[in-house]
Amino acid sequence: MISWLTATDHKKIGIMYIVTTLFFFVVAGLLAMMIRAQLARPDNTLLAPHLYNQIFTLHGTAMIFFVIAPFGLGLANYLVPLQVGAPDMAFPRLNATSFWLFALGGIIVFAGFATYGGASAFGWTNYAPLSEISEGTGAGQDFWIIGLLMASVSTILTAINLTATTFLLRAPGMTMWRVPIFTWEMMATALLILMAFPSLTAVLFMVLIDRHLGGHFFDPAYGGNPILYQHLFWFFGHPEVYVMVLPYFGIVTEVIATFSRKPVFGYVGLVISAFAIAGLSIGVWAHHMFTTGAVSNPFFSAVSFLIAVPTGVKFVNWIGTMWKGSIEFSTAMLFSIGFLFNFLLGGITGVMVASPPIDYQVHDSYFVVHHFHYTLGGGSMFALFSGLFFWFPKIFGVRLNERLGKWFFWLMFIGFNVTFIPMAFMGLEGMARRVYTYPNVEHLALLNGIASVGGLIMAVGVILFFVNVFVSAFAHVPVPANPWGGYSLEWTTSSPPPEHNFETMVPINSRRPAWDAMPQRSPT
Amino acid sequence: MQQTWIVSVCAAVLVALYVYGAILWCIFAYRRDRHEPQEFTGNPPLEIFYAVLPLLIVIGLFLVTFHDEMPVDHVSAHPENRVDVTAFRWSWRFGYDGDRIRTIGTPLSPPTLYLPIDRTTEVDLTTTDVNHSFWVPAFLFKRDAIPGMTNVFDLTPRKLGTYLSRCAQFCGLDHALMTFQVKVVPDAAYDRYIASNGVQKP
Repeated sequence: MISWLTATDHKKIGIMYIVTTLFFFVVAGLLAMMIRAQLARPDNTLLAPHLYNQIFTLHGTAMIFFVIAPFGLGLANYLVPLQVGAPDMAFPRLNATSFWLFALGGIIVFAGFATYGGASAFGWTNYAPLSEISEGTGAGQDFWIIGLLMASVSTILTAINLTATTFLLRAPGMTMWRVPIFTWEMMATALLILMAFPSLTAVLFMVLIDRHLGGHFFDPAYGGNPILYQHLFWFFGHPEVYVMVLPYFGIVTEVIATFSRKPVFGYVGLVISAFAIAGLSIGVWAHHMFTTGAVSNPFFSAVSFLIAVPTGVKFVNWIGTMWKGSIEFSTAMLFSIGFLFNFLLGGITGVMVASPPIDYQVHDSYFVVHHFHYTLGGGSMFALFSGLFFWFPKIFGVRLNERLGKWFFWLMFIGFNVTFIPMAFMGLEGMARRVYTYPNVEHLALLNGIASVGGLIMAVGVILFFVNVFVSAFAHVPVPANPWGGYSLEWTTSSPPPEHNFETMVPINSRRPAWDAMPQRSPT
Repeated sequence: MQQTWIVSVCAAVLVALYVYGAILWCIFAYRRDRHEPQEFTGNPPLEIFYAVLPLLIVIGLFLVTFHDEMPVDHVSAHPENRVDVTAFRWSWRFGYDGDRIRTIGTPLSPPTLYLPIDRTTEVDLTTTDVNHSFWVPAFLFKRDAIPGMTNVFDLTPRKLGTYLSRCAQFCGLDHALMTFQVKVVPDAAYDRYIASNGVQKP
């Protein structure tokens, strides 16, 4: 126990990240089930309005700040040193600091539920001046701000650490153009974090100053400006969605290549497109503000459209990697293919909402809820489980049960689509997001009913996943160093790896050192 | 505005079918038991082609969008009618004829905004507290109400009817109940409403 509390080994910290994010995933999932219970019927009175507002706020906050983003960073914590052939991260103690800031930040946000007045209830966007007045005067709102400040600082520190590790600690022969795509995607992610997260840190402090020290940053009566809040928040907030997606692009690339038995198609294109996405995403933030009447809609619309180009390049490369391959449908591969299906739909609706005349209708409606759940839920979350099934044997030394895994995949894939397809139509029929109730008009009752059933299907899937973890842990069949025939360096060391990662280092002469080192292959 | 919708949805469906088709082809044609892998690491001309193609598509979509947005955002210098819309937690106040005739709603009795058909009505949108958003789904349109500024836009309804509308920007406790009706009425009925100081509702 003490050895975990004081751990600075990147593998232990990586495992703690993964376990903690899965814990918050379950909590956020329970909150989502409460949302679907409340909205299952029109004019429902199951949850009181203030409670409902806390629930959707913490669902979004948890999924974004304590599940999707930190899982990517946590997995990178485990994998990046292994993939570049390093014994640990560049700054091990800083790494431990990052983890504890993140974990304690999450606990503080949720501790808001125990305060008088409850947890934060303003949505994950926490718009000022709403978050500075009225029902947010309790401590729960301050807990939310402080917890997020800790998570924000933690994320910045991890970005520095990953960058230093990749640039400074690569093994001999591991040139930058041989670094696995997952590590490249983490470099683009780290760059984005360093550009965007300081803006979040600043805006959170400004809200805190407004609330307690008589600041008037966002109060027009004293020369402040509510639009300033939106600029600062979305200057962080849009890059943040790519912080939640780029690591998962990396996972999917590795999984598809391995299970297609082919090298990655268009390696250089994948690297360039990652940085193109990172660069463009810095200039699109005000597409969240098309309806404010306070920004240049054509400019932000044009840049937002352009992001479709590097994202399209990635799809070409993933399909190109499968093309003329020899595809094995393991659970990890199924989740990556599920990612392709779901993320494509999220990307296409993303191009639609880049158009201001369309956004005028769908902004803040369930259409947008549909859109971003296809990118972050059907996209990143599916890739999360793909990565978990892929690297589980490496991390824990046991394989997850494939039969249960495939059941889990199909329940998630069906449940996800049953839940979120109806939401596009709810939005078009005029249902706003963040409402605790809706009238029985048009098809809203039917659509919401279907969505709630889909939520139940996913809940069964998630239960099955944890059953799988326990069943597989008890069965404890030891796995070899490279159970899937993976390509990158982590597959050349034992599962799990020894304390300093590598007993011996294989020669690194290509982008697939583990593939070259396989006994049946003669190195070229 | 409908043109953008039609073009975008058509483009979306075509791109989706093409890419889904390619993914499904891989899944069926290159299964482990049917296909031996072929080693290749890229195809630069093909990759460049598939970078330029989406670029052309989004340039086209942007032009359609830009062309459509201009009339939507255009504010007439001489509107035929003007209403003041004030959002507050959690309902609306509508002021006609220089704010002389006022309707104030509550969450449980949402107010009705009357608009004359085929006339351009300028809406001057403000809020007394936090951010709100004036959304009429039937008009495919919304605009935010932001403290400290007045958002001005034109509405020219073309169809008679009553349309359920609402606040779209989350504004706290009873955001869900912050609805209103938009009733598009004939010219004569609207004029009678104003002339009677709001007594003769259309």
